[in-house]
Amino acid sequence: MKCVIEGKNAKVFGRAVHALSRVGDELWLDPTVKGFLNQSRILSEADSKKLALRSVNSAQSAYACFIFSPLFFQQYSFMGCVPKQSSKTVKCKLLMKSLLPLFRCLTSIERNVECCQISVSASSDWVIIQFFCRHGITKTHNLRFQEKEALQAEFASHLCTNVLKAPARLLGDMVMHFPVFQEEITLSATPLRFSLRNYEESGESQVKMMYTEMSLHPEEFEYFHVDVNSEITFCLKELRGFLSFTESHCLPVLVHFDSAGKPVCFSVEDTLFEASVVLATLIESKSTDSIQPVGIQVHATSRYVDAAALRVHACEGHGETGRERITSSQGSTVSPQPDPIPPLPQTQQANKESISVNTSPASSMVCTLLFKALSSEHDDNVCAATPPVLAGYSDEEMMEEFCPKSPSL
Amino acid sequence: MPLSTQSQDDEEHYVLVASLDNARNLSNILKAITFKDHAVFTATPNGLKVTVEDSKCLQANAFIQTEIFQEFTLKEDLVTFQINLTVLLDCLNIFGGNAVAGTSTALRMCYKGYGYPLTLFLEEGGVVTVCKINTQEPEEPMDFEFCSTNVTNKVILQSESLKEAFSELDMTSDVLQITMSPSQPYFRLSTFGNSGNAHYDYSKDSDMMELFQCTMTQTNRYKMSLLKPSTKALALSCKVSVRTDNRGLLSQQYLVRNDDGQICFLEFYYCPDEEVEEEEEE
Repeated sequence: MKCVIEGKNAKVFGRAVHALSRVGDELWLDPTVKGFLNQSRILSEADSKKLALRSVNSAQSAYACFIFSPLFFQQYSFMGCVPKQSSKTVKCKLLMKSLLPLFRCLTSIERNVECCQISVSASSDWVIIQFFCRHGITKTHNLRFQEKEALQAEFASHLCTNVLKAPARLLGDMVMHFPVFQEEITLSATPLRFSLRNYEESGESQVKMMYTEMSLHPEEFEYFHVDVNSEITFCLKELRGFLSFTESHCLPVLVHFDSAGKPVCFSVEDTLFEASVVLATLIESKSTDSIQPVGIQVHATSRYVDAAALRVHACEGHGETGRERITSSQGSTVSPQPDPIPPLPQTQQANKESISVNTSPASSMVCTLLFKALSSEHDDNVCAATPPVLAGYSDEEMMEEFCPKSPSL
Repeated sequence: MPLSTQSQDDEEHYVLVASLDNARNLSNILKAITFKDHAVFTATPNGLKVTVEDSKCLQANAFIQTEIFQEFTLKEDLVTFQINLTVLLDCLNIFGGNAVAGTSTALRMCYKGYGYPLTLFLEEGGVVTVCKINTQEPEEPMDFEFCSTNVTNKVILQSESLKEAFSELDMTSDVLQITMSPSQPYFRLSTFGNSGNAHYDYSKDSDMMELFQCTMTQTNRYKMSLLKPSTKALALSCKVSVRTDNRGLLSQQYLVRNDDGQICFLEFYYCPDEEVEEEEEE
């Protein structure tokens, strides 16, 4: 495989690498690929001239994919391989820490690179990335790759009940308000309202917590179709990387999602490329009480402590509710929202009333609330269950959502 | 310059007196070779040469010509001493390292000879500081016997193009390989790191290439750790000349313009790590 990317597109390619580096530590380079969102199409000649870059995080709860169409390249040749003979394709896995430094300084690439050539040799295990720069300077990087089976997530976007199309920058502008260290956010959608708020593990650190919630009226979106009220919680880090890519291209973002536990997909499409990130969402479990949900409290734990036994307690003093502890994508254990999808959870403030689904929301509203320590109703000792993996009904079921299988998306 | 507080007697005893209206013209250039604590100062009628060496494989020289100094008086043909360079730089920056527009530190450097300390008179804004730094027996600097008759390959590049390459170099590579050749790839910097290798090629027709004189294909490797100090010199410079001789010894000469636009030189000599006959295959 050999492709040549013109100077200005080299920067786009570099941005894609940056976005993928926020997801995983490895990057899959796949020279023959079907379109991501049109899984049902039969592989055609045109399809064989696409190049896919993919990455997945270590917990397999976030997957990102960038597919570059033939128009993106000045030249694209794929020698010695017929699309249907997938066994002969070369799929390479590169270490992100080897690839990212090549594209680290995007302004320098924009200024100096006249064209970028990427070639993969099936006979050796090298990926050769050459930058032909101004002033007669050529930079050649030979990176070792591992030949690996293709990575592709299974995600049937056409089966999602809820679909939104956000104008460029809208989501990025919303996400900007969350602190940099914010790990998870909750997206809440009803036919009348869309909101994002931070998802916090509570505990002793409650006093220092800041809750942020942003709501939008459906009219802010180019397309807003919510069939089923939904509240999904997912990791913000991987999404941020993707959104910084989409913002730089001013592309509207499509969001496909369902109920909690099912993955959410953010995607963009352009004549030159398609890009998407699929994130696992927190699973929800049935609670024994049908209480007015007031948010979840979980004792804060180190993000990287794997499956630590966390204690979970309800916010309202209606006794213990059954909560399942789940490992988030970063390994910390959080508890889910109770089932069924309640009215938007009441935040911790004693005086605040529960937000009913039917209240007509104002157009864009941002509330940032500071919280004091909770009342004594909180029960510190709650159920301990074995933590299943994020966004799966079980580990096995989760694997069905995200496993590197041959394409069947 | 109000540094006339010295007595006439002292003036007669100094074998070296060098004055600068702006001490930065000396300190900036010395910063580029402060990779070791000690330096040998050699004063000749041509000016001042400061030498720093590392493990017998690397030698750096800073040349500040007589013309740079406002006053340069030498009573002997050769005056040489060894001094702690870090301490000297601290003294030169005693009024603060930050350059404030319109102010500068004036320097008068005086040396009475063997066994005497180096005396620095520094003045800024009417405040005078006197520093006396002990000197030591100078070690004989290595003579690499690098002379122009042995030079096989020489290029002069604009520093701008090299600065970017050096900032991107794969530091997981133990060595930097330099290939110079009258044919492709002309001038190549290569690294061999953990994830693979990288090559930076400069064409002889590049507009960054001011001079290209290569007579034979040579590939030599130099320890990356030894090359790191030269990046400071590269950052200060506007042009660099790279030469190798028939033994694979590498000479880099950096042309530096000081605050007043005057030219000083920095020179680095490196011993090769090993001889490499064939180029690394891509």
